[in-house]
Amino acid sequence: MTNETKKTDETILRIEHLVKRFGELEVLKDINLEVKRGEVVVIIGASGSGKSTLLRCVNFLEKAQKGKIFINGKLVKQSEKQLNKVRQELGMVFQHFNLFPHMTVIQNVMEGMVQVKKFPREKARKAASDLLDQVGLAEKADVYPAMLSGGQKQRVAIARALAMNPKIMLFDEPTSALDPELVGEVLSVMTNLAKKGMTMLVVTHEMWFAKEVADRVIFMDEGFILEEANPKDMFSSPKEERTLAFLKQVLPQQG
Amino acid sequence: MHILPWDLTVIPSKFFLFAEAAQYTLQITFFGILLGLMIGLVAALGRLSHRSWLSAVCRSYIFLVRGTPLLVQLFIVYYGLTSLVTIAPIPSAVIALGFHNGAYIAEIFRGSIQSIDIGQMEAARSLGMPRSKAMQRIILPQAFKRAVPPLGNQLIIALKDSSLASTIAVPELMLKGRQMGSSSFMYMEMFLIVGIWYLIMTSVLSFVMHRIEQRLKVSDRD
Repeated sequence: MTNETKKTDETILRIEHLVKRFGELEVLKDINLEVKRGEVVVIIGASGSGKSTLLRCVNFLEKAQKGKIFINGKLVKQSEKQLNKVRQELGMVFQHFNLFPHMTVIQNVMEGMVQVKKFPREKARKAASDLLDQVGLAEKADVYPAMLSGGQKQRVAIARALAMNPKIMLFDEPTSALDPELVGEVLSVMTNLAKKGMTMLVVTHEMWFAKEVADRVIFMDEGFILEEANPKDMFSSPKEERTLAFLKQVLPQQG
Repeated sequence: MHILPWDLTVIPSKFFLFAEAAQYTLQITFFGILLGLMIGLVAALGRLSHRSWLSAVCRSYIFLVRGTPLLVQLFIVYYGLTSLVTIAPIPSAVIALGFHNGAYIAEIFRGSIQSIDIGQMEAARSLGMPRSKAMQRIILPQAFKRAVPPLGNQLIIALKDSSLASTIAVPELMLKGRQMGSSSFMYMEMFLIVGIWYLIMTSVLSFVMHRIEQRLKVSDRD
C-alpha cells in the first residue's frame, strides 16, 4: 500500500496484464504500460494490432476481461459510479469527433462542465470561451457542428475533452478521418497541448507527430507491445524486425 | 329525378351538424396519442434497458398489443373490465387508443434511439455522464427529431382508428354518421360527410407535421 502511494506522485496511468477478447478473438494479450505525468506516449502499429482497443479499454468504453488499470495510482473498479468519476479524469478524442450535432460549438464544450461538473452556466461559458480560443475557434462558438470542417470539428472535440480538466488526454486516431490538408491544424493543437505539459496517450498514424512530439513511442503488434523506445531510437534503429518492417511501410523512403 | 340514386346536394347543408362529433374524434385521438407517447417512451427505454426482466416485460407488451386488433382491446377495456371497474366510453376509448398506439410508438422510439450513432453515447460517457443522463441530454433530443415523421404517420393512423370508438358509444364522427344515416336513410350522403371530415383533419395534420419537420431540419445533420 505504501508502495502504491509513492507512485501516485508521478504515474498517471498504469496498466497491468490487460487482456481483451472479442468472442474468440484475443485483441489485447497481456498489456503492461505506464504513463508518467507530462509524458506524451504515442502508440503506433498496423491496423488490427489492438492500439485503438487499448485506448478504449483505458476509458472503459471496452471492458477488458483481465488485468488492472490504475489512474493516479488508484485501481479502477468497474462499477458504473466509479467509472463516471474516472472518466472525468480521462479526456477522450475520437477518430470521428462525435460532437453533439444538436448543440452549438460552445454548448458542446460546456455540456460536461454544466451537466457533470455542475458548474454554473456563466462560469462554464467563460471557461468554454477560453478553451475555444485556445484551439483557435473562438469565432465559431455559436455555430452548429454541421457548419464546421473536419479539422475544426476535431479541435472542438479536443476543447470539449479539455473542459473536464482531465489528468490525461487519450487520442484515438484523431486525424485519420480528416482530409490531408486539415491534419496539420489538429496536430498543431495537440503539439501545443503537449508543450503545455499535458499528459497524452495518442494512437496515430502520423509518424511526424510521433517523431517530433512523443517522449516515448510504443509499437504494438498482434495484441502485444512489441517494442518501446524514445522516438529517436525507435525510428532510427528499431530492435524488432516487425517494427522495422512496419516503419519501412509507413515512412517515406529517403534518398 | 336524380341521375344518381343519392341526393348529394344535402351534403353542404348537413355538413356542420357533424362538427361536435368531429370534436370528440379529435379529443379521443389527442388524448389517446398523448397517452401513447408516454407509454411508448417508457416502453422503448424499458425495451432497451440492460435489466432483462424489464426488457422482457416491455417486449411482451408490444407483442400482445401489436398482435391483437384494436377493436378487441377496446372491448376488453370497455366491456371486459366491467367486473372490476366501470370506465365510461370516452376514457375507455382514450385508454385503448393509448395502449394500442403506445406499442407502435415504442417501436418508433426504439428505432430512432438505435439509429443514433454509438459514438454519441461514447462521447457522452467519456465526459463522465451516467447512461441515463447521456440518454436524456444527448440521445433522446436527436432521436425525437428522427421520430417526428413516423410519429406523424402514427397520429394519422390513430385519428382514423378512433372511428372504432363508435362501437362503444363514443359520440364521435363514425357513430354520428351511422345515426344520421339510419334516421334519414341517406347512408351514402352521411358517410361521405364523415369521410370528408376525416380527410380534412388528416390533411391538416399532415400539413402541420410537414411544417414541424421543416423546422427541425434547420439546425443539424452532422
